[in-house]
Amino acid sequence: MSGGRPGMEPTSERDMRAAEYALGTLDAQDRAALQREASQDPATASRIDEWERRLAPLMGAVPPVAPPPRVREALLRALPDVGGAARDELRQLRRQMRRWQVAAAGSGLLAAGLALFVAVGSSRSPAGGRYLAVVQGGGALPALIVRVDTQTGLAQVRPVGADAPAGRSLELWYVGAEGAKPLGLVGAAPSQVKLPQVTAPDGVIAVSVEPPGGSPSGQPTGPVVYTGKLIAE
Amino acid sequence: MADDATLRRLLAEIARGGADQLAELYDLTSPKLYGLILRIQRDRALAEDVLQDVYLRIWQAAGAYRPEAGPPLPWLCTIARNRAIDSVRRKVEHQGPELDHGEDWVARLIDPHDGAADFLDRNALLACLGRLDPMHRDCVVLAYCEGQSREDLARHFDRPVNTIKTWLHRSLAGLKTCLEAVS
Repeated sequence: MSGGRPGMEPTSERDMRAAEYALGTLDAQDRAALQREASQDPATASRIDEWERRLAPLMGAVPPVAPPPRVREALLRALPDVGGAARDELRQLRRQMRRWQVAAAGSGLLAAGLALFVAVGSSRSPAGGRYLAVVQGGGALPALIVRVDTQTGLAQVRPVGADAPAGRSLELWYVGAEGAKPLGLVGAAPSQVKLPQVTAPDGVIAVSVEPPGGSPSGQPTGPVVYTGKLIAE
Repeated sequence: MADDATLRRLLAEIARGGADQLAELYDLTSPKLYGLILRIQRDRALAEDVLQDVYLRIWQAAGAYRPEAGPPLPWLCTIARNRAIDSVRRKVEHQGPELDHGEDWVARLIDPHDGAADFLDRNALLACLGRLDPMHRDCVVLAYCEGQSREDLARHFDRPVNTIKTWLHRSLAGLKTCLEAVS
């Protein structure tokens, strides 16, 4: 499209972009841009949803085709084999995350929830074991930059524009097989935290919004919204 | 095709980590999803990759399915269509020859194969498609069912890309107005 600032387009133009996304006629660049926009802007996401619903009956016209059996075999082989306890923790956090996404989409309070999930699993470790995550809190500017080094077992947390919601604290967590372990609060200044000795595959690092001084229960209680992407350094 | 209640139950169990249920969901829905993907991504090897990727996404995203947002099959099909479109848009050159040129998708919708009744509001969409200029309607339907890009459509209809874009926008705006009036 015009490539300008999406927020400045008239409503009808934004609606047409969503319509063409659902129809499938946007090019790769515009599709990717709109997917990014939808992940941060509930209004864009719901415009796309509406168009997908409007056009969905056309899918009934396309006849089924049985896929070759090798796809099923490859799919079942590809399912991640996560240990029971870690899986429960992950599931619990994911559920919490989804609840917050729903709540944030409904109330436009995306900026109130700041969180990050960082997989520190060795299976996906890049060379050197270093990751960078830029966490956004719903606005255009990054809120936190987190560097994870699985070799030294340290994570550096650098707040950029991170204001915890009034009267709340941001808390960093490691979630592994033994449950969620608090790593410390995210302050206004850059800080360094030590990851637990055992960082199991598929463990995650999360940032949640908690009452002042951190979670009273020793477990994450506050809003968890996935907004950060992990980049191998 | 499985009923909504079965698919909802399977999605809920997959969200809790049920791998067997993912296999069951695959057995029930993969022909429909593969049919959709293959119409768009005509390279069979790539279409198979898309299908596997779609079910891995379903495995991860099953908990995000909300029953109040609509029945489960269109939700699954939409994931499949979007990944298939992503896969063909990433390639600069449109792949391969068309399977059977001139498929009448609207006629198929009127006299649907198995499964078409799973999609709600079929009649409303049919009625509204019927009010569009026939060429504009073909543009919309070819884009949707076969994943044709604006450039593909421009070649197909021998018109400039900008004309196609105008047709699409006019048709989509017309469909929206019409669907809002009939629903």
